[in-house]
Amino acid sequence: MHLPPWFWFGLVTLVSWGIVGLFQKLSTNYLSAEWALVWLAIGFFILEPWLYPGKLLFTYSTRALAWALASGFFNALGAWALLAALKSGGKASIVTPFTALYPIVVVFLAPFILHESISGLQAVGVVCALIAVVLLSTESSTG
Amino acid sequence: MKVIPQGLKAKWFWYSLLAVLCWGAWVLCSKLGTNEIPASTMQFIFAFGFIPVAILVLVMKRVKFEKSAKGIAFSLGNGILAGIGGLTLFAAYRSGGNTSVITAATALYPLITVVLAVLVLRERLNWLQMVGLGFAVAAIIIFSL
Repeated sequence: MHLPPWFWFGLVTLVSWGIVGLFQKLSTNYLSAEWALVWLAIGFFILEPWLYPGKLLFTYSTRALAWALASGFFNALGAWALLAALKSGGKASIVTPFTALYPIVVVFLAPFILHESISGLQAVGVVCALIAVVLLSTESSTG
Repeated sequence: MKVIPQGLKAKWFWYSLLAVLCWGAWVLCSKLGTNEIPASTMQFIFAFGFIPVAILVLVMKRVKFEKSAKGIAFSLGNGILAGIGGLTLFAAYRSGGNTSVITAATALYPLITVVLAVLVLRERLNWLQMVGLGFAVAAIIIFSL
């Protein structure tokens, strides 16, 4: 069976973010969600010396650099909005599965913005993934 | 007169919707950026996007400094792991795979969290999560076809 390169990259993302989910539970036992977010942002910068592209950074178009910066900004703003939803009375059991539905935005906008469409089988996979994410994000009980 | 559903009056609903839209925008910006920029440079620039929001959080909430070594260590570890996950996500987008499929597949990360929560935190799965595990496995199998 030949798996496409994105599958292996995606698998690393899946596992590392899965561990992040666990660490998030543990970190907010000791810190407020706000400080957990700030320290997470600082954690990103620990990796920066290894990622620094040197002079190459200035060879990319301003537009592409703006997309990259906007990517970080929107990710962080989404994290803040999730915190705000929880702080303003939203139940975690509703807010977390709700916000996990962000791939829907991508599925609907990708044909218009990225000129990409998905096959019937991929659509079935996306629907299964969305159902899975919503169900997995429900609160579990401590044993 | 039309009655507005209770949920739509609640602040949390609009904040949640904002989160969904922001994360949708994050994916689209990521894909558009990776058309030109390699994954490692994307992650390098991405981190700077967090600075204004981190400042906003601290200024708006006026939260006092919290000095829990454990909490700080877990959160820093979070940043490093989230950064590694972000790096490989950018690589996945850059590899030419379908953006919607990659996004849906990587959004399945609660699958790993739930399994780790059972193994490490001794949490018990509820029946909804068990059904969710089944759907997650089905999705991964379909994406690998």
